[in-house]
Amino acid sequence: MDLSLNEDQRQVLDFIDSLARPFAGVPLHDVSLALESADLDAQLLENGFLDVMAVEELGPVTAALVVEKLARLPFAVEAAASSFVRPLIDAELPRPLCLVEEGRVTGPVRFLRPGATIVVVGPSGVRSFTADDSMIAPAQEDTLYAYPVAFLTALPDRMATHEADPAQVLRAWRVAIAAEMAGLLGAALAATVTYVSERKQFGRPLATFQAMRHRLAEDQVMTNSVYWLALRAAGTGDPGDAALALLHAQDAAKRVCYDYHQFLGGMGMTLEHPLHLWTYRLKLLTAELGGRGEQGLAAATALWG
Amino acid sequence: MQFEWTAEQDAFRHKIRDFLHANLPDDWEKFSEHGPASPALTAFAREFCVKLAEAGILFPHWPVEMGGEGLGPWEQQILSEEMWIAGEPRGGQYMNVNWIGPTLEKYGSAEQKARYLEPITRGESLWCQGFSEPDAGSDLASLRTRATLTDGNYVINGQKIWTSYAGLADTCFLLTRTSDDRKKGITIILVPMDTPGITVRQIPSLIGEGDIHEVFFDDVTVPETARFGAEGQAWEIVAYSLRNERLGIPRFTLARAALDRGVAMLQGQGRFTREHVRIEAARCAALCEAAGTANYAVVQKRVDGLAIGAESSSARYATVMAERAVCEFVVEFLPEALAGASPYLKMHHQRGIVAGVAAGAAEIQLNIIASDVLELPREPR
Ligand SMILES: Cc1cc2nc3c(=O)[nH]c(=O)nc-3n(C[C@H](O)[C@H](O)[C@H](O)COP(=O)(O)OP(=O)(O)OC[C@H]3O[C@@H](n4cnc5c(N)ncnc54)[C@H](O)[C@@H]3O)c2cc1C
Repeated sequence: MDLSLNEDQRQVLDFIDSLARPFAGVPLHDVSLALESADLDAQLLENGFLDVMAVEELGPVTAALVVEKLARLPFAVEAAASSFVRPLIDAELPRPLCLVEEGRVTGPVRFLRPGATIVVVGPSGVRSFTADDSMIAPAQEDTLYAYPVAFLTALPDRMATHEADPAQVLRAWRVAIAAEMAGLLGAALAATVTYVSERKQFGRPLATFQAMRHRLAEDQVMTNSVYWLALRAAGTGDPGDAALALLHAQDAAKRVCYDYHQFLGGMGMTLEHPLHLWTYRLKLLTAELGGRGEQGLAAATALWG
Repeated sequence: MQFEWTAEQDAFRHKIRDFLHANLPDDWEKFSEHGPASPALTAFAREFCVKLAEAGILFPHWPVEMGGEGLGPWEQQILSEEMWIAGEPRGGQYMNVNWIGPTLEKYGSAEQKARYLEPITRGESLWCQGFSEPDAGSDLASLRTRATLTDGNYVINGQKIWTSYAGLADTCFLLTRTSDDRKKGITIILVPMDTPGITVRQIPSLIGEGDIHEVFFDDVTVPETARFGAEGQAWEIVAYSLRNERLGIPRFTLARAALDRGVAMLQGQGRFTREHVRIEAARCAALCEAAGTANYAVVQKRVDGLAIGAESSSARYATVMAERAVCEFVVEFLPEALAGASPYLKMHHQRGIVAGVAAGAAEIQLNIIASDVLELPREPR
């Protein structure tokens, strides 16, 4: 047991911090529902940050740390699937990677665009194809989610078949999303804490009211737990740990997204404050892989048969 | 980062398990329905701890200078986990090895060390912790039990409450008031429990017979040498003790074991099939594992020699969430467990329900997280 960051991990995280510094804030006067940056994406790729899982000294825990860290940025980055799933099936697949479940392809797909690789994961195996215009319907204007999303209108007749074990891919998928949610939860909490510490009503900061302090403290406990469960699931590679981590992350997201907007009052309804850039990613991720109930069932089967 | 135990740590755990297997009676599970502070378990622990001492696993985590093996915080954690899952056969003596011994070593007079450390290392002494009072619970610093120094003796008057183990303890680690200065007026006195003027009354409770007590002090007179540390030093010493005992009992391990036991019972009767039951069980497991990793992150800080701060309150609150979920799972889906069908689950329930109260209320942990983890501006006083 050793829960300290090692030197390599510390270096990777420091490196990302300096690379991501220009992207840590929301561009002035930007009132987008979702933010993306091709520049950030290119820099991450160039520096190999989305490929750390395959590097022996770094491995899956470092990949989880990277995904967690990037999720804290206001910009949505396709890091989770690329970091965790791509190395398992084909490290050369063009990004972004969009993961969809076989038989469940009607929902909004994050990062779906022409040229993206769609990976279809199901009991029958792992297949992929490159998306083009003919199979994509754009989401209606101004989707509320803080990810770029679109819909698949059709699956092609022929897809590439991969050797990868679908159960392993599913496990990695859960870990990846849990790690992403850990970062989103951390950033949303930090943004809320800053706001309520500064905003005064009744002559004192809102954060001095115990009703708020206690809920925020419970949110901190959940957020901290999601972080550790995600890292642990990455480290152990155990399917039960992966399902528990995503279950806990989705449970936490359900709870905190409501709290945080509530605590910002009217400001929480605006696009002026960036909170939605984290919470409306979290909200979409609560639906990932069928939502909490499905993770619960998967965990129960892994734990107790 | 490494989420697996080393081979040595696994071996250490197995050594403890083997010892427990060889030394707990066959009817132990039924027997451990008696709470950790009950007369029955206390009597059992007196023999059991002597055996633990002989086997070298009573205080292996103590430094070599204190007679321990100098094993690290992880080994202390493993030891605590295995004992707590087994229903804490050490009874109240777990406090001796976790914090009373180390605190005696650091702050005790030569006479106090000579008198008290030796019996602890033999597994033969039982302490109680006289902190809480009827009007001083969460607000501990408002305590009023008076100690007045006259002619080389302290004369003590007042009342303590919720005192675990008081019925059978040899010595009380007692917080008294020696001046009106709120925190700096509190002084520790080590009081032999057979001193005249002490009356102990059991409080009937949900958590097992003989667990919690009221203790009355009427002109209890002890020599000045019974004072522990200087007058007014109690707050500092207790803070040090708590650093040794910050995480407290590793409750999440028993919660997880109880959950597994409950699921096994349901499976045995073909009742672990409905989806909502399975999902709820998984939620409980997630909370237990969440508490576990949060606790381990704090242990890691001890391993790294870092100061432990408010993150231990976060870990403790995670434990409260896990305990609560598992207790509620059992009541909802295995109600018969608390009515005699499972001594183990009943034992868990009785220990689990105190998680949010004993050793500091859950809301106090939330206050600490708010102020010291989230660094929110403080509440006006
Ligand atoms: C099984 C058990 C064993 C114990 N053993 C010992 C022992 O050996 N020695 C000893 O000295 N004590 C012992 N205690 C006492 C324990 O430390 C106290 O019960 C605890 O500190 C709470 O104090 P209280 O019971 O007076 O609750 P109170 O202080 O009256 O609080 C009641 C409730 O009010 C809420 N509350 C209190 N303060 C605040 C606040 N500031 N903000 C928000 N909410 C608040 C919390 O929900 C709290 O649970 C034991 C308790 C139990 C249950």
